[in-house]
Amino acid sequence: MGIILDKFPLIAKAIPGGQVVLTSTDYIIDLGRKYSLWPLTFGLACCAIEMMVAYAGRFDFDRFGVIPRPSPRQADLLLIAGTVTKKMAAPIVDIYHQMPEPRFVMAMGSCANCGGPFYDSYSVVKGIDRIIPVDVYIPGCPPRPEALIYGVMELQKKIMRMKLERGGGATVQAEKGSRDPAGEDA
Amino acid sequence: MNPLAGADAVARLLAAVPKAEIASSPVKDYPTIRLAAPADLLLAARLLKGDLGFMYLEMVTAVDWLGPVNLGGFVCGGNSNPLSRKPAAPPVSPVPGPGVSYRPMLDLLWSFGNLGENRKIFLRLELPRDRAEVPSLTSLFAAADWQEREAFDLFGIRFTGHPNLIKILTPDFLQGHPLRKDYVHAKDRYDEE
Amino acid sequence: MKSEALIVTGPGLEMDTMFVNLGPQHPSTHGVLRLGLTLAGEVITKAFPDIGYLHRGTEKLMEARNYHQCVILTDRWDYCSAMPNNLAFCLSAEKLMAVAIPPRAQALRVIMCELNRIASHLIFLGTYGIDIGAFTPFLYAFREREMILDLYEKCCGARLTYNYIRLGGVAADIDSDWVAKCREFLEYFKPRLDEYDTLLSFNPIFLARTQEVGLIPKEAAVGWGLSGPNLRGSGVSYDVRKSEPYCGYEAYDFDVPVGTHGSCWDRYFCRVQEMRQSVRILEAALTKLPSGELMAKGLAKVPRPPAGEAYAHVEASRGDLGIYLVSDGGVAPYRIHVRAPCFINLAILQEILIGKKVADVIAVLGSFDIVLGEVDR
Repeated sequence: MGIILDKFPLIAKAIPGGQVVLTSTDYIIDLGRKYSLWPLTFGLACCAIEMMVAYAGRFDFDRFGVIPRPSPRQADLLLIAGTVTKKMAAPIVDIYHQMPEPRFVMAMGSCANCGGPFYDSYSVVKGIDRIIPVDVYIPGCPPRPEALIYGVMELQKKIMRMKLERGGGATVQAEKGSRDPAGEDA
Repeated sequence: MNPLAGADAVARLLAAVPKAEIASSPVKDYPTIRLAAPADLLLAARLLKGDLGFMYLEMVTAVDWLGPVNLGGFVCGGNSNPLSRKPAAPPVSPVPGPGVSYRPMLDLLWSFGNLGENRKIFLRLELPRDRAEVPSLTSLFAAADWQEREAFDLFGIRFTGHPNLIKILTPDFLQGHPLRKDYVHAKDRYDEE
Repeated sequence: MKSEALIVTGPGLEMDTMFVNLGPQHPSTHGVLRLGLTLAGEVITKAFPDIGYLHRGTEKLMEARNYHQCVILTDRWDYCSAMPNNLAFCLSAEKLMAVAIPPRAQALRVIMCELNRIASHLIFLGTYGIDIGAFTPFLYAFREREMILDLYEKCCGARLTYNYIRLGGVAADIDSDWVAKCREFLEYFKPRLDEYDTLLSFNPIFLARTQEVGLIPKEAAVGWGLSGPNLRGSGVSYDVRKSEPYCGYEAYDFDVPVGTHGSCWDRYFCRVQEMRQSVRILEAALTKLPSGELMAKGLAKVPRPPAGEAYAHVEASRGDLGIYLVSDGGVAPYRIHVRAPCFINLAILQEILIGKKVADVIAVLGSFDIVLGEVDR
């Protein structure tokens, strides 16, 4: 896989008409990624309950190929569901770096977006985008499971725009212009 | 609960503990006793647990009577969200209501319960803010362990004799004791510069 | 269950202890609890829970919010059962202001809190099953919970954080359609409880993993200040609804289920039985629902309780939730302290884990049914 991701774009571009091959490969790889988004089972606060509801029978997240994984090493979607406190910030950065690329981050709920009702608290990080780059923001306090599903669908659209040529996984974040982590381990 | 139900317990406590008195500012509807000195605490607690059957330590907490809260303890503004408005000044009045006197004191409060007889009693003790030191109740009540650590973390009250008096809730790099009224937040790496 | 460290001696066979770090990201810690465990072989010799990973400083924030804004923050402590949090805060402020709550609002508060108790215990049932290794109960429990959330949504518009119980009463009324739907749910729910018993409660594997594990004797439970089903599982019949009735609980007929020897299974089964009692209370409350006002009269838009101190506590889903409120006569509370049941229940973990096998940690931890939002506040 590494060879395809790293070397294939260079080889393909060197051949005349190679762009056509590259586009179809992009499509197939993106399709695979899109329908097997494996999030990390990682609940922080109130939003985690709505996240659990989304996995349960009524909303049935499995339909989207979203299957929770207990280890960050098997996951490619980090769902920040809840308030990120300053004490929790460092472990979250650790978890983020333990995930293999391409990795995606969704900020679920007002707290993860901007601090939410705790906007003036001394111990809350006002938005997870201050420490790790975010792909999709879901507003709400807490967002309904439908909102979470919509967020995943938006992420799937975003994944379909990923191109090998632009360097695998990191593109999605670079494209959106999200901030980089302040230093690798902030 | 009938506040008079604990009358005999209150009377015995007042008789046994020197200079203890019925608090002038009680917790509404509950018997509240003010202790005179930190040294009396263990005496009172032993009496409550041993003779009077108050085995259940319900709450350990404190109030800082310095005055209105310092708004520097809240981290406002600097929000990167362009849609969010700066919040209006929080509703803090500088003048106390009738019957309240601001003073540089920490008011500690313990609540004991007697589950069998269904009674509750509150003990309180005033300490100067800069020398807040009081004996720990961990030797008598296991429940005091974390609650005293919490009071230490958020108020900076030292509980002498506590086996493990370290921070419990706030992160290691947080300076000061957030629930003190004069707490001013020092900017750390997660705050917007 | 007796467990002793297996000591192997001999040259080159010195035993060493191992430090295991559980959390803060772990699927079974129900949030962001961190547990440091020192192991000798498989046996735990030292355990120290490390909390504060969800400390949001609400007690401080409330000092700069007015009373109505505080209710919103209370929702976020115990987010699995937010109604009792609203209630405890409102009761303490109402005590200071000496407001009389209209009877219909009282009954609605009871109905909502009991529904929330069922919803919260259903989360426990589902997640405890997952902790032990049974995934199926989770799907069943959440199916029933969704019905309760639909009822909430119909009444107050929110699924999880309600802000429904306000100072002086409740925010919204229920109609006859809601009452009919609620009755329908209760009729549907009663046979489901027996279903859970066959599915999980008396499942031999489940029994083997929980019945002899995590024993808490009566004295230890009282000494460590446990409350709620954790205390009652050890055989202490203490329920705030009985000992200091609020909102007219004295008018309802219900039992307080207690366990026998304080094992994980006792704590679990106390909760299952509590759901039956909640159904009883709900049926009675729906039958004699009085009509009338929802809000007390003569309450200022921006309340300023007179200076003073009040303590009010309620039997929340996880135990004795108390609010100590100090007012200096201002718009904002001068000081709020939360006697959070989860915080105090969790402290005993450092004692009872010692000597247990590492495989039992999750069974014991799960049986306390902690919510980290309330542990850290």
